[in-house]
Amino acid sequence: MSHGGARPQREAEARLAPLAGAWRSHRRQRRRRALLAAGLVLALLWLAAWVAQVDPRLIWSKGGNVFGYFDRLLTLEGGAEAGARVWHDPAEWFWGWRRWLRLLGDTLLMAYLGTLFGALGGLLGGLLAAGNIGPGRALRWTVTRGLEVCRTVPDIVFALVFVIAFGLGPLPGVLALTIHTLGALGKQVTELVENVDMRPVEGVVATGAAWPQMAGFAVVPQVLPGFLGYALLRFEINVRSAAVLGFVGAGGIGQDLIEAIRKFYYNDVAALLVLIILTVVLIDAVTSRLRFRLLEGHAA
Amino acid sequence: MLELQGLTRRFGAATAVDAVDLRVPEGQMLGIIGRSGAGKSTLLRMINRLTEPSAGRILHHGRDVTALRGAALRGWRTGCAMIFQQFNLVPRLDVLTNVLLGRLNHLPAWRSLSGAWPEADRAMALSALEQLDIAGLAGQRAGSLSGGQQQRVAIARALVQEPAIILADEPVASLDPRNAMLVMDALADINRRYGIPVLVNIHSLDLARSHCERLVGLAAGRLVFDGPPEALTEEAARRLYGLEAAEAAAAPPQRVPVAA
Amino acid sequence: MSGAASSPTPLRAAALARVPALRAAHPGAFRRLGPGQRLALALLLGGTLLLGLGIWRLEIAPARLLAGLGDLAHFVTLMLPPDPGSWAQFRGILAALAETLAIAFLGTLLAAVIALPLGLLAARNATLHALVRFAARRLLDGIRGIDALIWALIWVSVVGLGPFAGVLAIMTSDIGTFGKLFSEAIEAADRRPQEGVVAAGGSGVARLRYGVLPQVLPVMAGQVLYLFESNTRSSTIIGIVGAGGIGLTLAEMIRTLEWQSVSCIVLLILLMVAAIDQLSSRLRRRLAGG
Ligand SMILES: Nc1ncnc2c1ncn2[C@@H]1O[C@H](COP(=O)(O)OP(=O)(O)OP(=O)(O)O)[C@@H](O)[C@H]1O
Ligand SMILES: [Mg+2]
Repeated sequence: MSHGGARPQREAEARLAPLAGAWRSHRRQRRRRALLAAGLVLALLWLAAWVAQVDPRLIWSKGGNVFGYFDRLLTLEGGAEAGARVWHDPAEWFWGWRRWLRLLGDTLLMAYLGTLFGALGGLLGGLLAAGNIGPGRALRWTVTRGLEVCRTVPDIVFALVFVIAFGLGPLPGVLALTIHTLGALGKQVTELVENVDMRPVEGVVATGAAWPQMAGFAVVPQVLPGFLGYALLRFEINVRSAAVLGFVGAGGIGQDLIEAIRKFYYNDVAALLVLIILTVVLIDAVTSRLRFRLLEGHAA
Repeated sequence: MLELQGLTRRFGAATAVDAVDLRVPEGQMLGIIGRSGAGKSTLLRMINRLTEPSAGRILHHGRDVTALRGAALRGWRTGCAMIFQQFNLVPRLDVLTNVLLGRLNHLPAWRSLSGAWPEADRAMALSALEQLDIAGLAGQRAGSLSGGQQQRVAIARALVQEPAIILADEPVASLDPRNAMLVMDALADINRRYGIPVLVNIHSLDLARSHCERLVGLAAGRLVFDGPPEALTEEAARRLYGLEAAEAAAAPPQRVPVAA
Repeated sequence: MSGAASSPTPLRAAALARVPALRAAHPGAFRRLGPGQRLALALLLGGTLLLGLGIWRLEIAPARLLAGLGDLAHFVTLMLPPDPGSWAQFRGILAALAETLAIAFLGTLLAAVIALPLGLLAARNATLHALVRFAARRLLDGIRGIDALIWALIWVSVVGLGPFAGVLAIMTSDIGTFGKLFSEAIEAADRRPQEGVVAAGGSGVARLRYGVLPQVLPVMAGQVLYLFESNTRSSTIIGIVGAGGIGLTLAEMIRTLEWQSVSCIVLLILLMVAAIDQLSSRLRRRLAGG
């Protein structure tokens, strides 16, 4: 019995041996590739740490500061309850709420204006840059390159330059947001336009319509839902951006925030951050609901 | 009178339409037949100038329209209304607006783009829709209509262009027999009532025979048949649809004069 | 043009004669505004009012706009041709660009490592408890609500000026994004392999290790690359508030009106961003391919 069972087992092992070997070598190869990738990432990490002069020891020495900083953010510095957590005395914590809300409103208006102007420009730019309906090759090339520059240069860099040209205040901020929005939306509209159904376009061209009417009646109705969705998303992004444009003097709540951080007004920093986060989360919720409705309406 | 002289279109090495000579007198209902790929669509699209001819001329009342550009080209396009197999309406716009698109070249851009269509244009659009029995659908989105209804909207759009010629590229190929009959009847009715010449590409020989007063046949881009429907015998049709490219080039055009 | 347009065509004549009848039969077609258009008009009106409010509140005066545009045009002429100034300055710019890349790389990688457990906690099918998931999600939302530039400022006041603050800024602002993306990827993971592991007697940890991670790791790696790409853009600007990288030099050149250096730096940034985009999208395609 015993040797009757051993033979088939040995035979099975003999048959499996090449398979097991192949599996092992395959695994070894995969492992080697994974090790290589990990080694590469580690080397890059080390290189990057050296270039950026990040000393791991720094983390230990400064680690305490981190908790100290956030602790002070949340500790009342003045008023009757000084020393307690900020939420024990909201009136003291949000002492500047009138001014802050006004600045927050301005920030939203900046985002709105930037999105509005940028969206209108982006729609036109996208129509002109699209390969399927664009009115001319030279114009198309120029517009495409222009949109590229507008979207690749960060808005705050535009803001820095505009502050010098237009003076301090929200105007350069609005312009910076406009330019960046124009570039970003222009690209997205171009893609939308390049995917439209061309039959309505031919139908309208065949009636003798000129380019603006063709674009307005045959293309815009097709891209409108997608365009509005992108524009809403852009508004959301612009609210975040508008909140920091004040760092370079381009208006909005950022100017108070940078002052509070630089001058170590801990409670103000915390209050402003809370206001900004709440606003952003709220805008997020509203726009994502709107976008959902838009998609639904489009599907119906 | 519309006259084509040696009209040719090449796509790379292939010749889609090959030196077609054709005269279409006023008020004629002309059917263009031929098997798939024969060049029927290309021919009509060249007349409307959606496709640029490679050679040859298009004359309308003696005026050369082959090389028009800009506003003159748009005016010519308005004058020869085009009807497409796939209707080519704007699905998201309502029926009335789709018909009003036929008036675009009669209006300054700001009026149409702001939706301030003149009353007379609205009246024309409605009466065209009434004539095609679909005025009740004026407020509906074009995309929600059946194929037959959409094609009638497209015919109404063509009508309000006040065209001198109507070109119809397989207007009934996507429709069921009943709707196909309705649409062909509508085209024939317009042709008779307003005396507008209609050039229609059509696959159904029955509809071609019943609705057209003259038929021309294309094979491999060449005009190989021209005559009244009676002349298109079974034998002639079989020949037309069976011709291979080489034979079409060699075959002399079979012309049977139509009593005009 | 068609010749027909000059004299009224029969269709036109007939329609004009019947205007009153047509009006009576189809009142809707003659209304200036359909119901859809009325909604559009209301939105337009609201939007315009808001626009007016914005123009008034933000003091957007045409005169100021025009004067500024004139200045701007002048600056643009001064920017050409791009010129770093001196060889030493050019080397300085290149070093700052390298630092920018290093900040983006370190920040992205650290964020990914920290966000992985947070993402697991925030995913419905991997979390410990619904409450933990809720807390993790809100935490991630809050972090995402704060722009990288704000984080940079905060970190500068915690650890001082320099690239270390920049790394921390990129890291913190990305933890929120990564956490959300990771949790979504984990939630979208195919259930069948997980069931297979559980059916074979695997524990919860084994399910995550063998049922979930093999599926989502390539997805996550793609997301890390994608964010690295976008972080090379963000890390070019955090220097504006003193957190290291090219932004510091750029802001300085703008403030001192050295326009030729400005255009040179912007050009180099565009080139670097384009190169990283190329590299990362090629790597991502390889990842997606297998
Ligand atoms: N845009 C184009 N590019 C290249 N070749 C084309 C193009 N349009 C048409 N052709 C070719 O020209 C020839 C004639 O095409 P056309 O569409 O005019 O034929 P048709 O008679 O209308 O056929 P169908 O009955 O299928 O509509 C075909 O061989 C076609 O492949
Ligand atoms: Mg065809």
